[in-house]
Amino acid sequence: MTSVAPQKSKSGFDFSNYSRNHFLDGKGLGGFTATSTGTTIVGLIYKDGIVLGADTRATEGPIVADKNCEKIHYISDNIRCCGAGTAADTEFVTALISSNMQLHALHTGRKPRVVTAMTMLKQRLFQYQGHIGAALVLGGYDATGPQLFTVAPHGSTDKLPYVTMGSGSLAAMAVFESGWHKDMEQKEAVDLVVAAISSGIFNDLGSGSNVDVCIIKKDSTEMLRNYVMPNERAKKEQKYGFAKGTTRFTKEHIYSMIQKEDVFEVGSTAPTPAPLPAAAAGAGGEETMDTS
Amino acid sequence: MASQGTGYDLSASTYSPDGRIFQIEYAAKAVENAGTVIAIRTKEGVVIAVEKLVQSKLLVPGSNRRIFNIDRHIGAASAGLIADGRHLAERARDEAVNYRDTYRHPTPLKALADRVGLYVQAYTLYSSVRPFGISTILAGIDDVRGPQIFMVEPSGVFWGYNGCAIGKGKQLAKTEIEKLDLGSLTLSQAVEEAAKIIYKVHDEAKDKEFELEMSWIGPETDGKHQLVPDELRKEAARKAKEALDDEMED
Amino acid sequence: MEALDMNRLKKGEVDLGTSIMAVAYDKGVIIGADSRTTMGSYIANRVTDKLTHLSDRIYCCRSGSAADTQALADIVTYYLSLYSVNMDQQPDVKTAANLFQDLVYQNKDRLSAGIIVAGWDKKNGGKVFNIPLGGGIFEQPWAIGGSGSTYIYGYCDATWKEGWGKEQTLEFVKNALSLAMRRDGSSGGTIRMADITEDGIERHFIPGDQLPELAGKIV
Repeated sequence: MTSVAPQKSKSGFDFSNYSRNHFLDGKGLGGFTATSTGTTIVGLIYKDGIVLGADTRATEGPIVADKNCEKIHYISDNIRCCGAGTAADTEFVTALISSNMQLHALHTGRKPRVVTAMTMLKQRLFQYQGHIGAALVLGGYDATGPQLFTVAPHGSTDKLPYVTMGSGSLAAMAVFESGWHKDMEQKEAVDLVVAAISSGIFNDLGSGSNVDVCIIKKDSTEMLRNYVMPNERAKKEQKYGFAKGTTRFTKEHIYSMIQKEDVFEVGSTAPTPAPLPAAAAGAGGEETMDTS
Repeated sequence: MASQGTGYDLSASTYSPDGRIFQIEYAAKAVENAGTVIAIRTKEGVVIAVEKLVQSKLLVPGSNRRIFNIDRHIGAASAGLIADGRHLAERARDEAVNYRDTYRHPTPLKALADRVGLYVQAYTLYSSVRPFGISTILAGIDDVRGPQIFMVEPSGVFWGYNGCAIGKGKQLAKTEIEKLDLGSLTLSQAVEEAAKIIYKVHDEAKDKEFELEMSWIGPETDGKHQLVPDELRKEAARKAKEALDDEMED
Repeated sequence: MEALDMNRLKKGEVDLGTSIMAVAYDKGVIIGADSRTTMGSYIANRVTDKLTHLSDRIYCCRSGSAADTQALADIVTYYLSLYSVNMDQQPDVKTAANLFQDLVYQNKDRLSAGIIVAGWDKKNGGKVFNIPLGGGIFEQPWAIGGSGSTYIYGYCDATWKEGWGKEQTLEFVKNALSLAMRRDGSSGGTIRMADITEDGIERHFIPGDQLPELAGKIV
């Protein structure tokens, strides 16, 4: 391997991490990747609207980076979007489209539509040719009724009555394929979504922790955060606390970290502040106690 | 003129206080001083006729054509600054080719007039350019709307016409066109009528020599824009002179 | 010039491993497609509609990358709607096909899109245009495309005849697609068809469990 001498950039940017990563890569180390939400996300259409669901695990390679993250993102009051893939990308692309949707709604004076959000998302993802690693489940209720889409990272979209995405999509789809039917009742629908996400949580390594659910109907959106928590940490059977005085000490030192400051209003109606006494203006005093 | 000396006529990007752009009106003056150009639409097709004023007897007859082919099915003729006319014809050709390449069928005349109009209008917006000193007649046939005439003015506006005239003799020519029964005229008859009008509006006292230039589109030309054959044109010219002489005797 | 790689989907891209078809007949044109969309070995959508609306009487059948062909179809749809407003008339099928061809040819190194444009217009009646990978354009009485089409060239060549009516043409499309879907792993699901004529669009749907049994029918 020819070594790449780190060169000082003339542009002012610092590319030294590139050389470092290249070096580590050559030694078989490295492999710096973005946090990815190996994920289970789902959505379905039922009698009165849409139910979206998501697990809450975020991973960095083999490490669980966040045990209770939020994957159901706000687009507008009547539209939500579940994100799988690169966490940062799903976070920012949904935030951007949410912002543009609000501007669009203000501009047109109409309630936003799901197809509008879907078109904005697919055009942005297509523009970036898959480099924005966001796989989305987009659902909402608008003037045309309940709407549900998936958006893949390269910008292709599908319109289906029930959908799943992320690494747990196969496990979740198996549940949907056997349990979904037309015009489900709300309880039935939510239970099926929970079952699908649970299937992801328990059978897919990339998914885990809790179930988030979101119910979108004609005039209401209900975000049920941590609707089911099947993985709560069990109560510890033993305590590892130690009684006071177990460890002997020779000296105790207590510092006052509190700085007091008086704030006066200055103006025609406010009283003129009296000059502070020199001692009070200084730093907080220090108390010591010898316990030896 | 009232506009001169006010300072409002120095650039196409300046309005006068009453909302006029004098540079465009001056461009229209350049058109009014030019040889007459007319176009007549019949049920079958269109005829364009030009009173080409000949500046010198040394010029080769038939040279310096004033009627241009734009596309196979479209012709154009301008009155005003000749060089401007040639430039705009070139632009119209580019637009026609571009339309064909994009949509794979011949340009509808209105679409062409629209594009040419936009181009001309752009020359009324900036202080660094002068508006076109021409009015341009676009005449042609398209398979949906049949024979059509459009005339683009120096301001960039364009209208569709059953018959239209521009240049020196436009007033008289328009009165003459209005007398024709365009609904029942054949294309060959229209050629003769057009020749008569050009001969009639020609002012021998002011302009000595002129050449009659004519083109047509219709069943006779298989839907293509072509110059009227020499024989037919000469015959039409002969009849026109005859009619003019008869009128003098009356 | 470097040869085009037929299988250069980007990593993780959604593929329309596909069987698509369009056949012109006296009154108009019949288009058809399977309904399978895949991501690698996973079927991302088993009831996909690959017959995509472009204008009143013009549709296209998409094969290749789902993202690329959807983006292209959206652009052409936009141009055609602009055209119909500006020109105050419906576009010809060849106009739609040409717009596709321009885009596919100019971006040939970035796209994997094989498209069949089909429809009806007043001037020319039912028409079929094939626009394969490199950005060529070919007018044909019938066209097949997608990965499944390779299995049925012989069947189509041997079976199609000039002068068929609507019912015969529908039957031909249905049989050809069934054959393709049975042999091609990345085609399958259901058959969607559409009949485009002056009178409008008539949709046909054959569920996956009602595909014709062809063993006895093939000549």
